[in-house]
Amino acid sequence: MAERRPETSAPIVLTTGEPAGIGPDLVVQLLQQPLPGSFCVVTDPTLLLERARAIGLDLEEVEGGVAGPGGHLGVVPVLLRAPCSPGRLDTANAGHVLEMLTHAVEGCLAGRYTAMVTGPVQKSLINDAGHVFTGHTEFIAERCGIEQPVMMLATDAMRVALVTCHLPLAEVAVSITQETLAAVLRIVAHDMSRWFGFNAPVLGVCGLNPHAGESGHLGTEEIEVIDPVISKLRSEGLELVGPLPADTAFTARQLADLDVVVAMYHDQGLPVIKHHGFGEVVNITLGLPIVRTSVDHGTALDLAGSGRAEVSSLRAAIRMAERMTRGI
Amino acid sequence: MSKGQPFIGIVQGDACGIGPELLPKLLQGLEENEKNRVLVISDRRVLEAGCVVSGLEISCKALHERAAIDPHCGEIQLLDVPCLDPAGIVPGTVSADAGRAVLETFGLAIDLAKAGTVDGICFMPFNKAAMHLAGIGVEDELTWAKARLGVTSRASEFNVIDGMWNARVTSHVPLKDVAGRLTIELIVEAIVLADQTLKRAGYANPRIAVAALNPHAGDGGAIGKEEIDTIAPAVEKAALQEIEVHGPFPSDTLYLKVRDGQYDCALSMYHDQGQIAIKLLGFDQGVSVLGGLPVPITTPAHGTAFDIVGTNTANVRAARNAFRMVVAMAQGRAHRHA
Repeated sequence: MAERRPETSAPIVLTTGEPAGIGPDLVVQLLQQPLPGSFCVVTDPTLLLERARAIGLDLEEVEGGVAGPGGHLGVVPVLLRAPCSPGRLDTANAGHVLEMLTHAVEGCLAGRYTAMVTGPVQKSLINDAGHVFTGHTEFIAERCGIEQPVMMLATDAMRVALVTCHLPLAEVAVSITQETLAAVLRIVAHDMSRWFGFNAPVLGVCGLNPHAGESGHLGTEEIEVIDPVISKLRSEGLELVGPLPADTAFTARQLADLDVVVAMYHDQGLPVIKHHGFGEVVNITLGLPIVRTSVDHGTALDLAGSGRAEVSSLRAAIRMAERMTRGI
Repeated sequence: MSKGQPFIGIVQGDACGIGPELLPKLLQGLEENEKNRVLVISDRRVLEAGCVVSGLEISCKALHERAAIDPHCGEIQLLDVPCLDPAGIVPGTVSADAGRAVLETFGLAIDLAKAGTVDGICFMPFNKAAMHLAGIGVEDELTWAKARLGVTSRASEFNVIDGMWNARVTSHVPLKDVAGRLTIELIVEAIVLADQTLKRAGYANPRIAVAALNPHAGDGGAIGKEEIDTIAPAVEKAALQEIEVHGPFPSDTLYLKVRDGQYDCALSMYHDQGQIAIKLLGFDQGVSVLGGLPVPITTPAHGTAFDIVGTNTANVRAARNAFRMVVAMAQGRAHRHA
């Protein structure tokens, strides 16, 4: 399949997310060290300058952007709707957050940016402001005209994609159908080739139940849903291993044979990679026509303006986006 | 409340698995004062077969009847239970005969514990399929032991690694049924049992962290209401009984809190929530404790490892840790390095 790859000379674009959270802090902190690649940021430049002052770090306004000890960063201005103090949420700024995202998505679709990297947002605030917003992933997918995005978490050493994400546990089993599972597995396999350069990626597929159902004694979804999908997709040429009991899928011996693990639900996959990731876990949206990565943490309102925010996840998200745009 | 060296019954395990070869490794590594206080409950021929695989010779006093057991005899004693000729089984396969031998030796150990002859039991890995073929008739060895001991209150398996404990509210339950099973009463019972079991292992004031059920602990009710309706009220109720218990915590941070020493025990809501973390944190060193029984019973957390039987590559570390744990529990002191 011929797929257009954006001009690699175009930059990656960052969004700072919730202005009262640590998103702006992270950009200021990034600029204190040599920058991890070619990117620009869409935000309110005043917000960055104020936040730098609050933390006590060097940052100055320059032509077209801001500059710190680590270098110069282009800023595409999307202005705050109301003044912002670190840690204080204001629904007035929900529009600012959404405008940054819209700008980044449209820019990626138009090829002006090679990828977008998002800072953390406060979902509840955007909803409180009257916008329907279930999350970055869904918002971006909708603007790309995609119905089924897939969330994947990754470190340099490990990747975990999720069949279901922010669902109550009681609804997980019933929402996994042969159709949704097959669609997710196809997307993961396709995007592992497209963005990560695998010729024939090997996907480990977790079971849903304890011991992967133990031949139907501990649940029947493996037999009724997962096995048939695996058989069908294998016949289409996908390399699938499973259904794997979830508690052995993530052992080092098993992981050595897999390029990505597909977990059935949020808490089956996330704790593992967070445990392995040491703050360098990147959230990636698969199934999109564009590259989108994100930090894996929240807005940490209590740390905003303190200078104590940990910048490793954003650094990793930028590195990952860059790597994906090169398809390796 | 520390007592002298307790008298421990060691059960052979499934003879088709790595149990027989672990036995001599375990026995050889014991201190002299421990050897004096050990009763191996096994078919002599099974132990001998294990000695051949491991290349070890174990000197012990063979007994042929319960009445001959001397808790202070000064050497390893073997209660020779003629239940299985290893020549008649195929290593690395599921065998009803091996399952029957497991039930016979384990049942004898339980009876000896009930009679007060042994102070604790450590068993080598069992195979569930073999026990089912042998007609165990209940879900697992814990349920079986519970019935044999006449226990009707809650009993549950605990996993222990490096001083980190894990217990589950529900266990071998299809995922779709987990949420429906959770009640305030059930969770309170599980918290109380965790508190009692860790106290028995010597923790004066066990700190228990309770897991959430839903992603992000339900995110204030946006992703599931069980945290608000069931789990938080259970934690509050248990805390009223002077138990140091907190939560619910999201799965992805719960085990980090236990790992970092803020809590002694995690209480997970369902099987894989706990098992995934427990296996990541050091699977082969882990110990399983059957909690809620009047006598301490432990076993290595790994299984029969059919794929490596007879190769003399089985690692004895978990079995050794299981032995140390049962000794510690029989003495009522903490064993932090299970």
